[in-house]
Amino acid sequence: MRAISKSFGTFLAVDNVTLDIRPNEFFTLLGPSGCGKTTLLRMIAGFELPTEGQVLLDDRDISSLLPNQRPVNTVFQNYALFPHLTVAENIGFGLKMLGKPKADIAAVVARMLKLVHLDGRGDNPVTQLSGGQQQRVALARALAPQPKVLLLDEPLSALDLKLRKSMQIELKRLQAETGITFVFVTHDQEEALTMSDRIAVMSQGQVRQVGSAREIYDRPADRFVADFIGETNFLEGTLAGSEGSMASVRLKAGGIIRAGLPEGGAPKADLTVVVRPEHAELAAAGSGTFDGTLGEVIYFGTDTHFHVRLDDGGTFIVRRQNTRSGAAAPETGARVGVRLGEGAAQILKD
Amino acid sequence: MALSAAQAGEARQKKDIRDRWLLSAPALLLILVAGVGPLLIVVLYSFLAPGSYGDVKWEFSSQGWFNVFFARDIFDDTVSLADAHFSIFWRSIKLALGTTVLCAIFGFPTAYFIATRPPHNRSVWLFLITIPFWTNMLIRTFAIQELIRTEGIINSVLLKLGVISAPVQMLYTDFAILLGMTYVHLPLMVLPLYASLEKLDFRLIEAAYDLYASRFNVLMKVIVPLVKPGLIAGSILVFIPALSSYVIPRVLGGGKNLMIGNLIELQFGQGRNWPLGAALSVTLVIIVLFAMLYYVRNAGKAGGSSHG
Repeated sequence: MRAISKSFGTFLAVDNVTLDIRPNEFFTLLGPSGCGKTTLLRMIAGFELPTEGQVLLDDRDISSLLPNQRPVNTVFQNYALFPHLTVAENIGFGLKMLGKPKADIAAVVARMLKLVHLDGRGDNPVTQLSGGQQQRVALARALAPQPKVLLLDEPLSALDLKLRKSMQIELKRLQAETGITFVFVTHDQEEALTMSDRIAVMSQGQVRQVGSAREIYDRPADRFVADFIGETNFLEGTLAGSEGSMASVRLKAGGIIRAGLPEGGAPKADLTVVVRPEHAELAAAGSGTFDGTLGEVIYFGTDTHFHVRLDDGGTFIVRRQNTRSGAAAPETGARVGVRLGEGAAQILKD
Repeated sequence: MALSAAQAGEARQKKDIRDRWLLSAPALLLILVAGVGPLLIVVLYSFLAPGSYGDVKWEFSSQGWFNVFFARDIFDDTVSLADAHFSIFWRSIKLALGTTVLCAIFGFPTAYFIATRPPHNRSVWLFLITIPFWTNMLIRTFAIQELIRTEGIINSVLLKLGVISAPVQMLYTDFAILLGMTYVHLPLMVLPLYASLEKLDFRLIEAAYDLYASRFNVLMKVIVPLVKPGLIAGSILVFIPALSSYVIPRVLGGGKNLMIGNLIELQFGQGRNWPLGAALSVTLVIIVLFAMLYYVRNAGKAGGSSHG
């Protein structure tokens, strides 16, 4: 995708986005609702035409092709199964429209039914299936014509939590088995992190960061990405010196830490660093990177969140995994120290 | 206590049933008086003998039914099949089917157009569809006559423009009847079709395009099967009144191009053969009944399994 834009009237839904999606990868467009991710997907599918820019597939410009001329299939958010057709007829629809011989269609449909674990359900009307089964028919229907790219528009959002978890694994498996490029749209960060090879985080029509789940989580490029994905502590500070990819930062809350520099460019003198709550630990007052007063202690089952009131007025959250032995936690109101591990802090671009 | 509670429940149930009958009584009365009653009288008349000046003589006779199917030569008393009746029945069925098909062809794009307007505009378009109903049908039919008659507006304009050198005979043809009947019955097709199309999930159309369907296939494989209930309802609403049309074939078809309705009217009027008219009427009811049974069953079958 090259310098692509789409506006509806005066509203710019997608703003000059350039993305390079690699063959055979599980690529996710992640962002809050209204960020333009679905519009972007619809431009790849051909339901929307870009106002500017091009959609390229294997170096061929497909921007002006109609949806039925693109080797791209979509799994729709509400599945959009044809209610008047059976499961098998739904799955075979694309191949039939392509004019494939009946015997070939039957063979592919049988293979697809097996792939999505719906063997023997081919003659059922789709209206009799459960949500999860309909979801798998929608997947099989989009995979049957063997598209170059499979687009998935928040396909799991209508499923309950358990089913969603198992479908996530299922989707990952299908992608690996078929070797088809998946472009997945979601607003659920966990879904994006667990399934994707690479993620593009979008906001207000723009791509804020592209990278693997680990890159985006550990080294968020800007405040939006850091805030949108996972829980984050923001710490204000000033640059004290830098060497290579690391820099020393004097924190307003006290103490000096080493933090990773953002890609491309030295930061300004006043900067923000982000620290994930699980990358910090509580220590005795005076022995950590900086000190604070312990506020709320919230028990989450697998872990406990400690809210530390910093001396500059901010709040810093430390997450500690709960173990059976259960180390004694300090009391609310106590003075505590916060220790940051090596590589825990990352400087933001802006 | 328990007993009285049960009794109270029973009493309430009885009252419920009584209330239901009371509430539906007006409708039932109307159906009985205006529907079933007259139909029974017509059936009864079809088995009586004709009176000399119309009306009936109260004696059993199968002559009415005999005359529906057979004609007795007035000179030599030989009996032959009533070809005239059969051809009029067949003509009527053909014209009614033609009207239904034309209404579907013109009605579908209209209904599709309305269903794809923004919701707050749709009621305006539906309102416009009902405009023809504001005027009496007879007057509208005469208006069509004015348009298509030999010295009518269409012929005059075409002559002036030099498109034709002599007026085209349009009035008193089957074309005129089809035109009139399609025009009059069109809203009856548009409204149920619109109701179906409005419920249609347009994302299914996107899905079909996504799966390589051409425009034609999207229409035939997705839209038409999904709006079939509306199409069936519209066809029934058009076919039945079209089959028994009376005014339109009379005004636009002239005296020669009869339909069943005109034939029946003839027996009750100039023919003075009420039993024959009654028997013809019952025959019409039976034709409609079988046509509906056949149509609904086949439409249901096609909808249930659309293989191939």
